[in-house]
Amino acid sequence: MAFFFQELVNGVTTGALYALVALGFSMVYGVLKLLNFAHGDLYMVGAFVGYFVIQWFGGPAALSIPVPVVLLIMFVLAAVLVGLLGVAIERFAYRPLRDAPRIAPLITAIGISFFLENAALLLFGAQYRVYNTSEFISFSSGIQIGSVSIDAVQIMVLAMGLVLMVGLRLLVSRTKLGKQMRAVASDREAAEMLGINVNFTIAATFFLGSALAGVAGVMAGLLFNQVTNTIGFVAGLKAFTAAVVGGIGSVPGAMLGGLLIGIAESFITGYISSTYTNLLIFGLLIAVMLGRPTGLFGRPQLRKV
Amino acid sequence: MKAYGIIAATALGALVLAGCGSSASSNNGVSAAAAKCATSIGMEGPLTGPVATLGQEQLHFAELALATDNAANKTHITLVQGDTQLNPAQATTVTQQFTSNSAIVGVVGPAGSQEVEAVGPLFARVDMAFISGSATNATLTQGKYPTFFRVVSKDSVQGPQDANYIISTFHPKALMIVDDQEAYSTGLVSAMAPIFQQAGIKVDHESVSQKVTDFSSIVAKVTSATTVVVLPWQVASNAQQFGRDLAQQHKNAVIFGTDGLFSPGTFTIAGSYVSSFGPDITGIPADSSIVATATAKYGKFGTFGPPVYAATHVLDEAIASVCKAGHVPTRANVIAAVKATNEPTSILGQPISFTSGGDLNNGKFFLFKIDSTGKYNLIPSS
Repeated sequence: MAFFFQELVNGVTTGALYALVALGFSMVYGVLKLLNFAHGDLYMVGAFVGYFVIQWFGGPAALSIPVPVVLLIMFVLAAVLVGLLGVAIERFAYRPLRDAPRIAPLITAIGISFFLENAALLLFGAQYRVYNTSEFISFSSGIQIGSVSIDAVQIMVLAMGLVLMVGLRLLVSRTKLGKQMRAVASDREAAEMLGINVNFTIAATFFLGSALAGVAGVMAGLLFNQVTNTIGFVAGLKAFTAAVVGGIGSVPGAMLGGLLIGIAESFITGYISSTYTNLLIFGLLIAVMLGRPTGLFGRPQLRKV
Repeated sequence: MKAYGIIAATALGALVLAGCGSSASSNNGVSAAAAKCATSIGMEGPLTGPVATLGQEQLHFAELALATDNAANKTHITLVQGDTQLNPAQATTVTQQFTSNSAIVGVVGPAGSQEVEAVGPLFARVDMAFISGSATNATLTQGKYPTFFRVVSKDSVQGPQDANYIISTFHPKALMIVDDQEAYSTGLVSAMAPIFQQAGIKVDHESVSQKVTDFSSIVAKVTSATTVVVLPWQVASNAQQFGRDLAQQHKNAVIFGTDGLFSPGTFTIAGSYVSSFGPDITGIPADSSIVATATAKYGKFGTFGPPVYAATHVLDEAIASVCKAGHVPTRANVIAAVKATNEPTSILGQPISFTSGGDLNNGKFFLFKIDSTGKYNLIPSS
């Protein structure tokens, strides 16, 4: 039973990360119908921001200010910088192609992904940068229930993931900006005719989605310790899968999809074998698509006749 | 009609003259090229991608060897870089570029066994020597790729050596092996697993891509009976994370890694073991000047760079010997000189000469244990 709970904790933690990245994917798809393949690379940039914050304050073993303050700066700075980077990408790479055939922004997104990956390679080099989280957040600061270990970083990731997901859900459903986002997602032209500033709404969506990816990048750095220019690829792929399973364009769908993929990965690895994890995860994706082509929370598109 | 005849005769005359001129300049070129000894070699490695750290180290040591050898031999050999990303398809593209570039007479690399398998036939077709500093799969030197050479030993030596060391040192009842889904890793596992099974050890064989950084679910499967976790991986920081996950879940298994995990400063889990195809040249007195130059220029390095230095040096010396003999360093001349390589010593602290299959004669592996300060200590018997 302890093994079951350990795998559950591992799965939910990883799933929370996937969910945060998937949210950005889903939000951007919702408003622009664009598969933003550069989204995983924004997560990578966020992880680098967190790493450099640790270095600026003296490195993991000798932080010059209290750990909670460093963590706060890491998360806020990653969210703001990566959010702004997302807005810049939208402004200069996607907006000029908004009315182009859908393949054009898709290819541009792939191009942006490679651009970011290789820019990071040139700027930061190929070597892995290590957070060394255990040097400033001890493993012993977590919870031990029987033989189930939940360390402080896992607890923080779970709590922050939950807060951010609930916060985003409230923002989309209860605020004026959320209403504007839903209106643009539903019918951009109609929203514009109703006086909604579409450009601002799309930029705000990119900011929020990218900021979440930035925060997830810092969380990944704290959890998995290492950062390099290629970490965005797998994260982006898993988040995309999560978004599709949940129903791309749906905020609760992305959350559920992320958690499902994380937990499924963990249990497949634990109870079957890591050799079959990807095979079964993508098998699950195919099964969901066959059963519900729009994903668990997706709605079928209405066609005007 | 008469005009056409004059034009045809003029054209024919021009062609004959051009042919003579070409022949004359070609003859001059032979001696000039031999005297100047100006040519190019290719370098294939994972310069970007998930294992770019290793590829960049290999590139640095290739450049270092080339600069040293050019100065010593008064040659003018230039290096053409090719980024394979440890991907056989990408390696094929790079190799096609190299083989169609007539200026390139030999190649250092590629890094991975799976890449050698992809490009071996392409190099064989143009009779071009390629020397790897890290491809260790045993099947590569069984005659399939006649122009392939390596300056390191092979998995069929490493796998049994490591497995027997684990059995005799830890006497495990159960162990876990986690391959990284690449030919290098699975090749080593298939050399080790039967030895463990014959010894009656329960083996939990797992598999995970090195693009993944979350190992918590696999670590949860490490039981109290699991004495050793074998990680034949190529990304040291992943092993470091694996070690952290073990500590986080209060598991006491010892990590036993191979080649790619030799990375002081990155993989520092105390009590772990690393077996490597390359020695730690910082402990070889004769290499002190190379170590000093490399450290000053590029910073810290592991075991992937020095074998590429050795491979580049073999190629450089082969080209220089062809030139000294007054011949043009063509691909055929260079491969003949590479086959005849007989260096009494090398940066790796051992002589370099090749078997007929391209293997290093008397190649061996080196075993290190990491102490509590993160230092790698050579186990003398290895």
